[in-house]
Order: sequence, then structure tokens, then C-alpha cells
Amino acid sequence: MRFSDIIKRSLRNLLTSKARTILTALAIAVGTFALTLTLGASNGAKDYANNIIKSNFDPTELIVAKDKNLFSQQDASKPQVYNPSFGSVTTFGGGSRQVEYLNNADIAKIASTPGVSSVQPNITVSLQYVTRDGQKKYIGTLATYNSYQKPTLLAGSIPDNIPNGQVILPQGFLSSLGFSSASSAIGQNIRLSVQNNTSLNSALINPFATSATQDSSKSQESVFKIIAVSETPSTSISAQTSLYMYSNLNVVESLNNYIYSGTSSYQKYLEAYAKVTDGSNASKLNKAQALIKKEGYSVQSVVDTEKLITQFISVIEGIVTLFGLIAIIASLFGVVNTMYISVLQRTREIGLMKALGMHRKDISWLFRIEAGLIGLFGGMIGSALAIGIGTALNPFISNKLSLGTSKLLIFKASQIVILIIVLAVIAVFAGLLPARKAAKLDPIEALRTE
Amino acid sequence: MIEVENLTKIYGKKDTTFTALNEINLKIENKSTVSIIGKSGSGKSTLMHIMSGLDEPTSGTVKIDGIDIFAMKEKKIDAFRSSKMSFVFQSFFVEANATCYQNVLLPLEIAKVGITKRKQMVLDALKAVDLEDKVNAKASTLSGGQKQRLAVARAIVNKPSILFADEPTGNLDSINGDKIMKLLFGLNKSLGCTLIIVTHDPDIAKHTSMRILIKDGQIEGIEKGRK
Repeated sequence: MRFSDIIKRSLRNLLTSKARTILTALAIAVGTFALTLTLGASNGAKDYANNIIKSNFDPTELIVAKDKNLFSQQDASKPQVYNPSFGSVTTFGGGSRQVEYLNNADIAKIASTPGVSSVQPNITVSLQYVTRDGQKKYIGTLATYNSYQKPTLLAGSIPDNIPNGQVILPQGFLSSLGFSSASSAIGQNIRLSVQNNTSLNSALINPFATSATQDSSKSQESVFKIIAVSETPSTSISAQTSLYMYSNLNVVESLNNYIYSGTSSYQKYLEAYAKVTDGSNASKLNKAQALIKKEGYSVQSVVDTEKLITQFISVIEGIVTLFGLIAIIASLFGVVNTMYISVLQRTREIGLMKALGMHRKDISWLFRIEAGLIGLFGGMIGSALAIGIGTALNPFISNKLSLGTSKLLIFKASQIVILIIVLAVIAVFAGLLPARKAAKLDPIEALRTE
Repeated sequence: MIEVENLTKIYGKKDTTFTALNEINLKIENKSTVSIIGKSGSGKSTLMHIMSGLDEPTSGTVKIDGIDIFAMKEKKIDAFRSSKMSFVFQSFFVEANATCYQNVLLPLEIAKVGITKRKQMVLDALKAVDLEDKVNAKASTLSGGQKQRLAVARAIVNKPSILFADEPTGNLDSINGDKIMKLLFGLNKSLGCTLIIVTHDPDIAKHTSMRILIKDGQIEGIEKGRK
């Protein structure tokens, strides 16, 4: 029998027992539904992670730190050995740690590494307060703006190099600082204040000192003009970073120096960004990474960061996939059962086909294809339901999770097609035992069956 | 010509053996009509099954046009059967949920007949049994006599050299039974195929040109010439 005839005959047999076929296919559809959603969620999570990375990291840069444990999990079961040459003990990752910082000599050393075009310390300044005439004072953070970040702007524009004394204000500050709209904030002045840490320390030593004394002697207030208002990004690394204000490196660095002047943390940096010449070339990036690492620094590329994030997603994906697979395996037993019943019901038909000269291999294929078609239908139903429901709920869920323009579920046609084909092939294998039984039937006995 | 030599079929093993056929020898001419007659359990169906290659003998040979069918591999026997032989059974064995067209198509699909030729062959076969107006009717809607005619159409669609009919009128009333027998004998003439009928009905047997009487697995007698 031609293969096309076997498929047609199998299809007709399935349609003869519609209810049985649909019920068995639905069992497979449950597993497929779960797997399709898992794939969609995994794609969505990876896409979101990529967006976060793209918005927060320059792929041609390397993140360099002096502390060996910064990019890896520290052994938390043992206490850290105190090192007098390291910085002060700080709360880090939920526990007290002493972190080894980069200094200007390190920055210069990294900058001299072959393949590195420039090095910029990562500086984020904790502001004493942010305010505007007639408004309350608010806590804020000022960070260095990098042109690759390309935030979505509600108003204004960002030049390649932000001039001194200018700032990008995040959307979250608008109403707090008394602006009615983003456009009304453009060109307006705000005041940012930083406090020297030695003054802060003395205040801690002498809690009875008046705040007025502290502010006047050890604080610096600067006026900044708002040049742009950025939309609250959906791709912030944390909720806090969505309230970051941005200015140029010189401004941020000078404020940072003011804060830490006279302390052991003066001109010390947790990490720095090393820009690699032609860093979009993976081999050049890897080469520079290896050279910096050889100098005794911890180095992480965007790819490493991406791996770290996707590793977590993959674990979750693996667990959900496992549940989906269990559901599919359970449903395959249903296929086996259905096919056994089919063989029993069609024993005389099998006998007739054998009498008419149908080879047992073709008979076996007839039942295997039937099983495969059930798998195919189940896969198609499950995937269609998952895509339909997922697509309908996607905007709602994505909005609830504040994913911005990213979507929680991203369905890829190629993945769905592969999933359905794989299911059909697995179902063909599930039909192997009943098909073997059919193929081995004695035609005479089969024809005698009542 | 069908040549059966020293054919023996023994079922079971050791103490529980049963000899269904014992040293059968016979020759059947091409295009003849043959009836195998005997009581229930005499071995007549077993002889038909072995002659058609559906069952294997314990010993002995069956040659069709000089070819020893049991010397062939299973796949070749299947192909041989699909191209040279056909069957009509007492219980019709039509697919109730399939149309008459689909039922008759089955042997052509098995024999891998070209798709372009199939339709005309099926329609010709249905016309030969007066079911041309039931092409798209489901087999389940047919009467018993029509079902058997459909089975005959399925049997002749491939223009077989040998047509085996196992108690073809066993499930039919006398009127429909007569119709089927007339049809089978007519097809023997029009198609030029050898017709081998297994029956216990002497009225049917008397119309055949050769009658093989079987009793307890042995040939009791062979009669030639119509009565």
C-alpha cells in the first residue's frame, strides 16, 4: 500500500470514531498547552532579560571589579578574613562584607590593557536630597548617563554629551516636584544636594549635633537644569533604578569625590566599565576580557550577565517543561490504550486486509500513523488553545507585571511546529505496540473473530 | 493451474495434534469452477486457506502456474495474493462506515494500482454487481444481498486469476443466494478467473465443473462435469 493511502485510511478510521479520537487528542492537548505556554513564557522572559541587558549594559564593554567574589557566589558558610588593605566593611547582598575596591591606579592599569579603548568607573551618587523651590525634599540617586541606554523620553532631548549642570529627570519625580507635565519640566531648575561622609560620620558620633550645623558646613547644593524627562523604564534592574537621575560623568564624579573626600572610600570604585575597541567582535572582546583577568581583576561581559539571567529562566523553564512532559507521557498511555481498542475492534478488517495481500509492515504503519495523527491533532489543539488564550491575555498580564513594551508570552512559529511534529513522532512510537499486535494477527483467526 | 501435492496440515503439538488435511493431491485447471464440499470440520476451509497462501501447510506444496507459493518470502506471497487472488466470505467483511466506493477501492490500494486507473476500475466492478447507483452510499445502508454483492465487487475489482468464495451464500436467503451464485458463475465466464467455492450446499456444488469431496481431512472423491 502506498504511504499516502495509508495516511488517508488512517485518517478515515480516526474520523469513524470521532469521540474517541477527540478525547484522546484532548489528553495530549493538555500537555501541549502547558508546553506551548512554557515555551512562550520562556521566550518572553528571555526577551525581557535581553531588553534589560540592552538597556543597562553596553555589549562592547566589560565590567571590571577588583573584588574576586563580586561576580561569583561567596562561600557564606564561613566568615570572611579581614583585610586591612580592603575598603571598610559594608552591608552587601544581605550580609556584612569587606569589598576590595578599584582605585585610580587600577583604572589606569585597565585602560592600558591592549584592546581597551577607555575605562569609566561606575559611579552612582546617593543624593542627600532633591528639591525645587516651594517643594519638599526627596531622596534621590544620580547616575552616569551612557549613550547606549537610550531611554524613552516623555519630553526634551538628550545630546551625545550632556553638558555640565544638566540632568535627565525620571517620570517618577514629576508630580513630587510639582510639575504638571513632562514638557512643563523641561528647562526648569532643580536643586541636588550631597553630603560629605565625614560630616555624616561625625553626626553619627554626636547625634545631638543640629542638622543645620551639618548641612551648612558639610553639604553642597547644586542647581541643575532639566533637559529631558525619561519614562519609567520597564527594563530597570531593580525598582530603585527606575528613579535614577542621569548626568554626565564629570558631574557625577565630582559629586562623588565631594561625598567621600576625607574618607577611605575616596576615589574608590566597586566596578568600572572597560570599553573594548571593536568590542562587537566577540573574539576581540574575549581577548580583552582574558587580558584584564590575567592582571588579577574580575571581569564580566554582557554575555556572562546574560548567561546568569537566562540560567535562572532556564531552571524555571525546565521545571515547568517537566510537568508538561509528565502530562504528555500520561496522555500517551491514552494513545496506546485507544490504539489497542482500535486493533480489537478492527480485527476482522485486519484479517481481510491481510487476506487481500496487505503486508504486515503496512498494517503496522496503518496503526502507527493513526497514533501519530492523534498526536498531531492533540498538539495542534493544545498549541492553538495556548496561543489563543495566551495572545488574548498577554496585554493584560504584561501590563500587570509592568513589562512595558515587552510581552510575557512570545510564541515562535518554528518552536510550535517542531513541538507538534515531535509530539506526532512520539505518538507514532506510542502506537508501536498496538501496531505490532495488529501486524502479527493471524489472518485466519482474525477473519473468524466475531 | 493449481497443483496441490501431498498437502498435510497438522494443528497442535505432541499429544494434542489434530490432522486437518492428510496427503491431499489435486489439480485445478485455470478458468474452471470448483467446489470443495464437506461437512463442518472436514478441512475444506483449511484447504482453501492453504491454497490461497493464507495458511502454511505442515508438509506438501501448492503450485500456482508452476510457482511454489510457499517457496516465496512472506512479502512476495502477499504481493502474489494481492495481484492474483481474491476472496468472498460468508460474513461479507465490508467496512460498514465506508462508502461502497471506498470498500471496493481497498484491493487496488493494497496492490498499489495507479491512482488514475482506480476510479474507473471501481466503477466497473460496482456496475458488474449492479451497485453502480450506490457508489457513495455507506455500506451500512445496504441489505445483506447488496453487501455480498459489494464484497463480490471488491473481489473482482483487481481482475484476479483465482476467486475463492468461502460459503458465499451462507448468510443470505435463497433468492439472494441464487443471485450471488449466478453473479459468481457469470464473472467466472466474463473475467475468465478460476472460481473455487467452499460450500456444504450440494445445490451450489452441482453447478461447478469440478467437485472435491472432503471428509476428515482427506479427499473422498473428485467429480468432474456439471450435474
